[in-house]
Parts: sequence; structure tokens; C-alpha cells
Amino acid sequence: MSASSLRSFEYLESLPGRDFKRLYQRPSTALAIFRRMLPHLAKTFVMAMLYITDPLTLSELELWVRPDSKRHVLHVIMPAKEYALSLLSRLHILNTSSVPGQGQVLSLTNDFATSLRLSLTGGGHHQSFGVPCDTPDRHKASLESLDAFARSQWEGILHYMVDTAGVGMQDGGEGPSHGVKKLLELGGLVQMKGSYATITQAGFSFLLQEVNAQVWTLLLFYLDSAEALNMDKVDVLHFLFMLGSLELGQDYSLATLTATQIQMLEDLRDFGIVYQRKPSSKRFYPTRLATTLTSDAGALRSVNAGFDNALRSGDGKGFIVIETNYRIYAYTSSPLQIAVLNLFAKLETRFPNMVSGRISRKSIRVAIHMGITSDQIISYLTTHAHPQMRKNVPILPPTVVDQIRLWQIEGERMKPTVGYLFKDFASGQEYEGICKYAEEVGVLVWKNDAKRMFFVTRVEQVKKFLENKAKSAAAGANGG
Amino acid sequence: MPKAVKGVLVECDESIRAIILKIDAVNHDFIIEDLDDRTLVVKETKLPELKRRLEEELRDTQDEPKDSGSERD
Repeated sequence: MSASSLRSFEYLESLPGRDFKRLYQRPSTALAIFRRMLPHLAKTFVMAMLYITDPLTLSELELWVRPDSKRHVLHVIMPAKEYALSLLSRLHILNTSSVPGQGQVLSLTNDFATSLRLSLTGGGHHQSFGVPCDTPDRHKASLESLDAFARSQWEGILHYMVDTAGVGMQDGGEGPSHGVKKLLELGGLVQMKGSYATITQAGFSFLLQEVNAQVWTLLLFYLDSAEALNMDKVDVLHFLFMLGSLELGQDYSLATLTATQIQMLEDLRDFGIVYQRKPSSKRFYPTRLATTLTSDAGALRSVNAGFDNALRSGDGKGFIVIETNYRIYAYTSSPLQIAVLNLFAKLETRFPNMVSGRISRKSIRVAIHMGITSDQIISYLTTHAHPQMRKNVPILPPTVVDQIRLWQIEGERMKPTVGYLFKDFASGQEYEGICKYAEEVGVLVWKNDAKRMFFVTRVEQVKKFLENKAKSAAAGANGG
Repeated sequence: MPKAVKGVLVECDESIRAIILKIDAVNHDFIIEDLDDRTLVVKETKLPELKRRLEEELRDTQDEPKDSGSERD
């Protein structure tokens, strides 16, 4: 699962239960969450229970799962079943209750099940999948013009961020709107220093993500700020999920949108997510950025590739060639891509269709100093490798990859951990008890039995433990 | 009753620890506790300065390869 959907998860999970209830009243939202957010096993569970009216017992559900299946979640391996179930209940899709004699029984929450059924089989007057305009548009927007619009808006935003790094590329457009700039600052992607914006560490990670992840990141910032603007975030989410189910090239009517959503259109236009010929227009077109919002991970790559192709005027996805002597050739004329490359490579010559340069210890150290990690650089080079490079296994020369990693490690001469040092224990017994407790609650990072000292990352639990111990010791002394 | 001291645990090589000790020796204002030959506890507020000083020291001691070295290989 991509990082973007993980982040949108975390956001959703933080919502209170009543917001979920309202969210799931829209079939488009239920469908979007189903297809984008759930792992396959969770989808299987939902489908199994969707048309069953009686609750299912946990043991019946277990028949669906191979006991040895595991899932990697952020480097932690979890049994697939537990992961799916806990996710479903955190997203308020699953109700768990225990019935005497049967153990735990599971059922889908009503709102979610009803909406998902409606979205799969149709029917109802919810109009949550958008209403196409019934009159033809005299100035119909073509697919190419929509792509061009989305590209210029989105690249404008990225460019604004890169420019802040002092790369000093020429910018053709006038840059993003004031609202977008404000949002980038609120999200911590850029930092205002006087009247200048400078890019932050988070901003760099943002730049190196794929487009879909970037869009979601920005939209989540938008959701956060929407509350401050008195916009209803459930309304905002409904609209975003609806956009994900719209068809590219079709114009949709504003008639079914709420006031909040019409207000949003202006901002989404700035992002390049929707297109309107003029602000007073009674119709809007979703762009490719919108229609790929909630595609599932598999579809995403191909759609994204389609967008990349559209963005990069034809010549395939990859454009970077890197040789074992650290020379780098990039077949691109996009100022944005050149600017990104310039963050970690020293560019020397520029031709109409390509730039060349080299990666050096210095250029990588500069990048790392700005907060880019070696892994980000390597993954950027890998995803944008030229088709000719892709014939190699592995794609990038191993010497270069290793060297980039080494250049990073070189700077990490020490490993700092913030926390508390415990010392001056009265007895070995006291030391051992507390140290053991710290280890059990998972805060211990270093200990030395001979010196009777240990270091913990968090102090609260250990303090509590000490206080309780002191109390019980006092009570014991009083009693005895 | 044991004491808890706030600080930053620094794990590093012996050579790096030696340099940190040397930096600290001037004013004794970085290190809270010298734990063993690979571990120290330093003041949290002093960490950025320590990092900077450490890099300065290393820059003087290391012979860095020239960037243009393999240029025309």
C-alpha cells in the first residue's frame, strides 16, 4: 500500500464515530473507502458479510483465512486476519459484539453496508456519484486540455517549492495562488523567512513522492485547514471521494453540490484537480488528478503512468541514465525535473533535450544536509530510470547505490537519543527491579549493570512505577 | 531514591567519543555523564552545537577526495 493511503487512513481513523456515520451515508464514500483503503483480506470479509443479515461468528470468519498469512505494516509483520479486523473496526465498518454461547460475532455497520450495496447495485436518489450536465458545453474541454491544465497547475505548485531552494530556475507561469502558498506553509512544506519561502525537510520528501501521494498529502493539509475556515470536513471528504469516482472528460453540474463544496471548487481549481472555464461556470470537469484519487493501488500505477506520460510529453516514464562513474544524463527539458535533479546532483551541461552532470560526495552531502535521505534519492533514481537502464538487473549500478548510502552514513558519526538517565540507585536490587520494568514497557535503550545506570526514552511510566513502589514500601513500613 | 537526569544518549565509535571528550574538555559544558567507551550523555540544548563542532573537527582531520577526481576516467 502506498504511503499516501496510509496517511489518509490515519486521518480518517482520527475522526469521531458520528463523522463516520455521516460519511458512510454517501455510497460514493463507502465505495471509495472500500476500494482504496482496505487490504484484500478485509475486502473479502466485507464482501462475505455484505448480503448476510445475521451476524457472523468469528470462527466462521476464520475459515476464510489461511492461518499462516502475514502482512507487513510499516516494517512490522502482523497476522493478516488481525490486521484486517482491527482496521475494519477502526474505520467503523465492522461491529463486534459477544453473544453467550457463540463467542464473538461480527457484522457490518448499517450505514456502511447499505451505502456499499447501493453503490454496487445502483438505485436510490443519493446522486453521490456526481450529476453530469444535461446541456452540452459549447466550450467543451478536451482530454488534452484537461491534462495540460492539471499539469501546469500542479507543476506550478511543485515549482514554487523547488524555487524556494534557491535553485533559481526560470519560471514560466505566475506561480500558485496565495491560498496554495499559505497551505504549503501551514503543512510545513515551506517555511517563510521574511518575504521569502524556503523549502523544508518535509517539503523535500514531498517532492520525491509520486503524484497521487502528493495530491493526498496536500488534500489532507487542506482538510485540516478547512475546519478553521468553518467548512464541514465531512462535506469536504464527501466531495473528494466523489471526485475519485467521476469520469475524465465529462462535465458535471454544480446543482447537487453543497455550499461548502462550491466554495471548495475554487481551491481545487488552484490545485489543478478540477477545471472550470470561468469561476461563474455552472459546470466543472474533474482532471486526471481527481479521477485517480481513489483508484486502488494496482490501478493507480497504470493510471499514474498514463498521467506521467501526459505530463512528460510522450517519451516514456524514465529519463535518467546513471553510469558507474557517477555521471548522470537526464533526457528531459522539464524545468521541474531539472530542478529536482539539481537538489542532489551537480549539473554541468544542458542541451535542448537533456542535461548531464554527476553525483558527487559533495552534492549528496548537500542534499542530505537539506534533509533528503539516501533512500529517497535512490528511489527517485530508480523510479525515473531510463528504459535502457531498466534492462539491467539491478536497475542502478550497485557501486553508485552503495556509495550514496555510504555518503549518508559518513555523516552519522553518532546516534543521539533524547531521554533520561537514571542513576544513584541505593541497591542492586532496586536497580534491577526498575531496569527490568523499563525494559518491559519498551523504553529502555541502554543499561550498565556494573554502574547501575540506565537510559530511557520516556520517563512517565517509570516515574509512576517508582512512586507506586515508594507508596507500597511506605505502607509496608507502616503496617509492619 | 534514584535520580533521573534529562539528556541525550549519544552512541558512537571510540574515535568519535575521543573527539567529543576533547571538545568538552575546554569548558566542560557538553557532557553530563561519560558512560563507557561508546556511550555518553550530553545536554540536549548543546546537541546541535556539538554536531557542528564535531563536523568541523572531522573536516580538518579527514582528507576528502576531490570532486573532480574521476571526472575524465
